[in-house]
Amino acid sequence: MSICVIEHDELCALVERLIRQWPVMGPRQRKQQPGFYYFDWLRSADELVWDYVTTTLPPKKAFFPPREPFLEFSRPDPAKVRPITDQGPFVLLGVHPCDLAAIEQLDIAYSDNAADGRYLANRARTTAIIGVDCWPDEYCFCTSVGTEQARGPADLFLTPIGRGYLVEVRTPRGQKLLGDTAQLLATDEDEADAAYFRSEKQRRITAQLETTVEQFADILAEGGLTEVWQKVADRCYSCGSCNLVCPTCFCFDINDDINLDLTTGTRIRTWDSCQLPDFALVAGGYNFRRERWERVRHRWHRKFLYLYTQYGQPFCTGCGRCSRACTADINLVEVSNDLIAYAQREKRNV
Amino acid sequence: MTTQTKPRVAFFDFACCEGCQLEVLSLEEQLLDMVELVDIVTWREAMSEKSDDYDIAFCEGSITREADIERIKHIRETADILVSLGACATIGCHNALKNQFSMDEVLYIVYGDRAEWFDTIPARPISAVVPVDYQVNGCPASLPEFLTVFKHILMGKEYKPPNQPVCVECKLKDNLCVYDKGLLCLGPVTRCGCDAICTSYGHTCFGCRGLVDEPNLNAAQDVLAKYGLSVEEIVGKFRVYNNWPELSLEESQSDG
Ligand code: SF4
Ligand code: SF4
Ligand code: SF4
Ligand code: SF4
Ligand code: SF4
Repeated sequence: MSICVIEHDELCALVERLIRQWPVMGPRQRKQQPGFYYFDWLRSADELVWDYVTTTLPPKKAFFPPREPFLEFSRPDPAKVRPITDQGPFVLLGVHPCDLAAIEQLDIAYSDNAADGRYLANRARTTAIIGVDCWPDEYCFCTSVGTEQARGPADLFLTPIGRGYLVEVRTPRGQKLLGDTAQLLATDEDEADAAYFRSEKQRRITAQLETTVEQFADILAEGGLTEVWQKVADRCYSCGSCNLVCPTCFCFDINDDINLDLTTGTRIRTWDSCQLPDFALVAGGYNFRRERWERVRHRWHRKFLYLYTQYGQPFCTGCGRCSRACTADINLVEVSNDLIAYAQREKRNV
Repeated sequence: MTTQTKPRVAFFDFACCEGCQLEVLSLEEQLLDMVELVDIVTWREAMSEKSDDYDIAFCEGSITREADIERIKHIRETADILVSLGACATIGCHNALKNQFSMDEVLYIVYGDRAEWFDTIPARPISAVVPVDYQVNGCPASLPEFLTVFKHILMGKEYKPPNQPVCVECKLKDNLCVYDKGLLCLGPVTRCGCDAICTSYGHTCFGCRGLVDEPNLNAAQDVLAKYGLSVEEIVGKFRVYNNWPELSLEESQSDG
């Protein structure tokens, strides 16, 4: 890995060059609602906003679209299928540390037994990822889950400094992407600027879990928290928004969309949510998470217990999207801290 | 498939604005694909021919007179498959707004001193009178769902309306939530299937596709109250489309 500096004009020229070469996805401001951002394909460099606050949907949509037609079929005989693979390589820009951590987590989960070929093929099309450091808002709590400095799959990572960005060149791909740009060496002053940015970012993060992720996993494993789950469930719509905006949620549903000729059609995979009542509905009408509070509990267990146990890290990056998206104001950090406080109270009482 | 074996389709309307039929007519080219598969034998809004011999009946509108009950029973007896088309037929829609008053009062308000010439009963969806095999939700009926239902019928498959709120489709489209603009939205308790069309254009959801199977109306009440709405206003918001069966928001409020 090497370190260099890129000035604002140069960075803009680099983005223009990338856009000419590949489809490029990056954060854009919503026209109708300034101050809110989303990831989208860019037509020109000035659409890109480097200093944005967390987007509605995470950047995983670049390689794991919310609705993805993946094969065409015809029936009945002879039944024929044709995979849909017409997308080419692309570049993903402006990814925050928490979202870089999330991409790494999805890669781990989807490569594990049984590996998801479709996902991995889409990831292989990801020519390069450029990350960027960020300012938190009141929902960010990356410092509680250790992702505030994550670099994950980034080929280049940018930290804002006085004269532009400090660039961490993390892979040969990143080096190739830069080409002739960013030949400036980083001075001590540049390094100091970047260090200041990082410490100031951490200082500004106010939301935090009131225990370590290890202890939180133990608390959830211990159980006996039904009262807290039920109180959250009283306020929860089971609308699924918290899952659908989560960068680490990987569940999906598969449906066939048949054409009006009744013989040809498309198979589509769509993001799913464990908060929806029919998510755990199986043949015979049995639903193994029938009650709303069981589904609420599952969301926490999935992120902070099951996958923590399996992979040694919570599958929550602290991005805060679930709390921002919840129309019922169910805040992941607040509920987690309620659970922690409840467990500690119960412990004292025995 | 030969012409003789094509299923025969009829469209009927009860109390409604006939907008759902108009919506189906707007399918235009896809209608041509449809008539490859079926014969349309009755459709007052679209053609002058009619027939009392049909296999599939699409029925729009609410049941709101004694005579409607007789007519829908006859359609039920004639058709193998009965589909309720759109919000009036499926959830009662605006028609059922009158159910909160006495029928005498309603007749008087509308017809004044001629009230006695007319009869009226509380408005209800078709499924409240006869069994319905398929339903298409929405005001007007959602065309993608209409086509899905149409295809399911021809394939002999059951169709289960999606039991997910509009928020799901809204999120999948990466919309900005209208709550972030300070607007109120019934999306979290409303059945999806419209591809979140209203919120995608920056409007709020009015709940025209009816409520999901287990809406958390307590949560809805809390959230709407946070925006300074009284119970009456909250009930009013729900009532635009959802009046059947009678909403129980008020009781849950007085309980707690
Ligand atoms: S959670 Fe941390 S890394 Fe993610 S956007 Fe907020 S401050 Fe940045
Ligand atoms: S977004 Fe909020 S209301 Fe919706 S399912 Fe999640 S926690 Fe419940
Ligand atoms: S659970 Fe919430 S805070 Fe954690 S990664 Fe998912 S959306 Fe972000
Ligand atoms: S705009 Fe309405 S439907 Fe969309 S996410 Fe927000 S509450 Fe749900
Ligand atoms: S968004 Fe709501 S009001 Fe609009 S069509 Fe869908 S269900 Fe009806």
